[in-house]
Amino acid sequence: MERRGFIKKGLQWAASLLGASFLAYPAFSFMTFRKATKKRIVFHPEDQAGAVTFKEGVYLIREPNEIFALSAQCTHLGCTLNYDAVSGRFACPCHGSVFTLSGKRISGPARKDLYRVPLTKTASGDIEAVLEVG
Amino acid sequence: MSFPGRIISRISLYLPRLGLSALILCLVSGLVLAFYYRPMGNVFQNVEEITTLVPYGWFFRQLHYSAGQVFVILMLLHTLDHFFRRRYRIYALGEWISLIVSLALCFYTLFTGFILKADQEGVFAGRIFMNIIETLPVAGGAIARLFIVPGNSFFFLPYLYHSFFLPLLIIYLMRGHIREWFPNERFLLSGGIGLSLYALFVSPRIDIPPDASVAVVEGPWFFLGIQSLLKVLPSFLAGLVIPGLFIGCILVLPAAGPALRALSFNERIIRIGETGLYCLLIISICLYAFLTLRAAIWGP
Ligand code: FES
Repeated sequence: MERRGFIKKGLQWAASLLGASFLAYPAFSFMTFRKATKKRIVFHPEDQAGAVTFKEGVYLIREPNEIFALSAQCTHLGCTLNYDAVSGRFACPCHGSVFTLSGKRISGPARKDLYRVPLTKTASGDIEAVLEVG
Repeated sequence: MSFPGRIISRISLYLPRLGLSALILCLVSGLVLAFYYRPMGNVFQNVEEITTLVPYGWFFRQLHYSAGQVFVILMLLHTLDHFFRRRYRIYALGEWISLIVSLALCFYTLFTGFILKADQEGVFAGRIFMNIIETLPVAGGAIARLFIVPGNSFFFLPYLYHSFFLPLLIIYLMRGHIREWFPNERFLLSGGIGLSLYALFVSPRIDIPPDASVAVVEGPWFFLGIQSLLKVLPSFLAGLVIPGLFIGCILVLPAAGPALRALSFNERIIRIGETGLYCLLIISICLYAFLTLRAAIWGP
């Protein structure tokens, strides 16, 4: 008798757990869904004059034989990096990670190098950086 | 009762009543602010308008800020008061858990408020928070999206939590406590006068725009310790495991003795086990307080 009661209780529990997860899974999927969006940052010719230009979370860097863009978000926990023109490095104001001008990690708690943002050049001389959000 | 004993028990009685007076003021001022605050669009500008353009906006902002801080600080002191006098022993485990969870949620409310200022430290705090949750294995990214998402609606979920879910949940969890400690007019009046004077004479700190370049960005005072840990430990450990373990140990504290007893250990081991956990928690609280003070005095 006791064992039957135990099994019955167990089955009841399993059934309610199953019922709850039937509802919880769609709810979780709904609540955590995110449409991937892209953000375009346009550097007009006048923005491209300096060696390092910052615009909306992206650093555009002009070196003698290359132009490239780096995401300004620190690879540790996402604070925006500052560019220090004296040392020519990027420094994070949150936990002190430091990166070279080409985005290589030098020191601090960040483990990865900075993310390179793909660039496209338009006919009018604009440079477009496309940043993925989310 | 001796003289200092009398004072301490007086303070023990006043703390929660003053705290609840602050909570009432915080809710009222929050309700006023909600008429102008918008969590979408240029939120930084919206906050600046509240502070400089909207009539009495600066007053309600400061009142809301100070009332929230005072409420949480008094609740923390009230909890520490019970903790140090080992009064957790008189609580049923369920009640103890709901009170500690409500205190943790109070801190989360302060933290979302810190994000909602939408200045540089607010935005960075939000990003750090999001990235820390993302370090959770398996579903970290999805779980983070339950709390905060990048992009245009960055402030929306913290806003929803700050002004809807959390206040309701906290009041629900503390309902018995609120009934027990509900302040009378005297407390309400003195709390109201004190906080209004603060709001009148102390102006808000200057907000730094999110894009500005500043050498060091800190965080809210209660996370200064975690900020220091984040510098030297992996984010998952410093941001989730350590705080989680700490809160977990506090939650099970009243159950430690009964659990050991149920496993039929002898009284001496039970006492050592329970006191051991209690001492471990005191050491962690002291260490955290030290880290916080160190960061506040010498910078993070
Ligand atoms: S976010 Fe840059 S070092 Fe932590």
